Amino acid sequence: MIQFEDFSFRYKSSEAFALQGISMTIENGAFVGIIGNSGAGKSTLTYTLSGIIPHHFDGDFYGSVKVNGLDTVEVKPEKLAQFVGEVFQDIDSQMVSSIVEDEILFGMENFGVPHDEIGRRLDSVLDMLGIRDLKDRQISSLSGGQKQKVAIAAILAMDPEIIVLDEPTGELDPASSIMIFDILRRLNREFGKTVIVVEQKIMLLCEYVDRLLVMDAGKIVFDGRSEEIVQQVPLFKNLGINVPRVVELGQQLTAAGLYHGAIPLDLDQAEKMVKEVLADAGV
Amino acid sequence: MNLLQYQPGESFLHKLNPVTKLLAVFLYCVACIISDSIFVELGLIFLMLIICFFAGLGKRALSLTKNLLILGGMMFILQLLFVRTGTPLLKIGSLCIFTTGGVFSALLLSCRIIATMLPMMLLFAITQMTDLCGAMVKRLHIPYRYAFIVTTAFRFVPLFTSEFHDIEDAQKARGVEYDTKNIFKKIGLVVPLVVPLLMSSLKKVDAGAMSAEVRGFNLRTVRSGYRDYPFAAGDGVCIALTVVLIIISALL
Repeated sequence: MIQFEDFSFRYKSSEAFALQGISMTIENGAFVGIIGNSGAGKSTLTYTLSGIIPHHFDGDFYGSVKVNGLDTVEVKPEKLAQFVGEVFQDIDSQMVSSIVEDEILFGMENFGVPHDEIGRRLDSVLDMLGIRDLKDRQISSLSGGQKQKVAIAAILAMDPEIIVLDEPTGELDPASSIMIFDILRRLNREFGKTVIVVEQKIMLLCEYVDRLLVMDAGKIVFDGRSEEIVQQVPLFKNLGINVPRVVELGQQLTAAGLYHGAIPLDLDQAEKMVKEVLADAGV
Repeated sequence: MNLLQYQPGESFLHKLNPVTKLLAVFLYCVACIISDSIFVELGLIFLMLIICFFAGLGKRALSLTKNLLILGGMMFILQLLFVRTGTPLLKIGSLCIFTTGGVFSALLLSCRIIATMLPMMLLFAITQMTDLCGAMVKRLHIPYRYAFIVTTAFRFVPLFTSEFHDIEDAQKARGVEYDTKNIFKKIGLVVPLVVPLLMSSLKKVDAGAMSAEVRGFNLRTVRSGYRDYPFAAGDGVCIALTVVLIIISALL
């Protein structure tokens, strides 16, 4: 469980608070999506979960953040790393090895995972992300999307209880993005992992996450189930965040008096809606 | 091509334990250094080339030798001009340009440089840096921290060059004449890039440290390493042969 209590943080070099007055609880087994404009504090929020703030970045830290009951100020990042695995946004600079296999082994070796278990987990993440053919490749020779998959594999191999990902699909094509979210859903539902993902693709978030956080200027301005964004369209528009096009279409059809059902959130529901509207119109 | 780049392969040289490779290279260099005979040095260069041909690294070894010849040539000229023993061979007026002793020691030194550098550079062609460091941690119990520093430094070389090329391309696209033939003009253009390049590298190093930290870098022990790097019979044979080589070159 993750608890924020009136947490604020200001980087040493900056005047403004990066995060302000955050109070919330994330239960074990939650699937949380975070969206917001750049500079809204999304990455800073993820840094607090792995203890990088306050241990790596200096600044003013107010309130408290507890992960599994441990105060992140008091315990060292390597202690927190036993439950929190974080994939950073900058893919290139988070690599610590020159070869894909070593990159995935790194975390497991450090945590002293038994050697037969290491082999099993290595195989499992390579297959899960479909990167078995990259195993012996030099990381510097990979494409952005391939590197992203390697970075995610390296964290998943450590088998953390809480998986934090900062824009994990930024370099990926649409099919791979869906693959990543399918993997995250499986880890969440089958293995009970807590997944916290920062993502700019609103459609993916709506489809997969249970709880959506919208951030703006260091504050959480919306915190609710992803279905509730239907009522929040003006807020999203105000912040300049796209709402899913199916939601927009649903609202337009409702406003025009052509549709009276629930606003669709994904393509399947949208298809049903369009068929209904067309049937009503006698087409 | 990068002279220190790893060349994948399945040869008997590749399969040796990385620690053995390192020790064998060291012993081979000792053999080169203790010998005072130009013929032994030449013999050692040829022996290395022959071994490389059998290991399928012939082309690489030849191109390395070609590169080392330049270094050897420079050392030859320096030695020739500065060693003053023996009888004068070339005189301009009363000024002695070089002597018999100079020629001999210049030849010996340049051959020795090639003979010692060649196996050292080939070590990188047949060994992954991570394997070398991993084996040293596992077998020689070198602290992982130091091994990590070395592998990271090697990893940063290609990152650094690619970053430099990116900046250069960006500047070219803005019309800066990087492709100028004038070396002084080029240096003048490159110098202002050094600071931003250094800054971005430092940032990368910092982010890398952060990433290593949250993945438990500080928890690592000698026994953590997944790969085992066991010694095999071939490793013993290889070391025995290099020791024989030292004895031969000492006797000749």
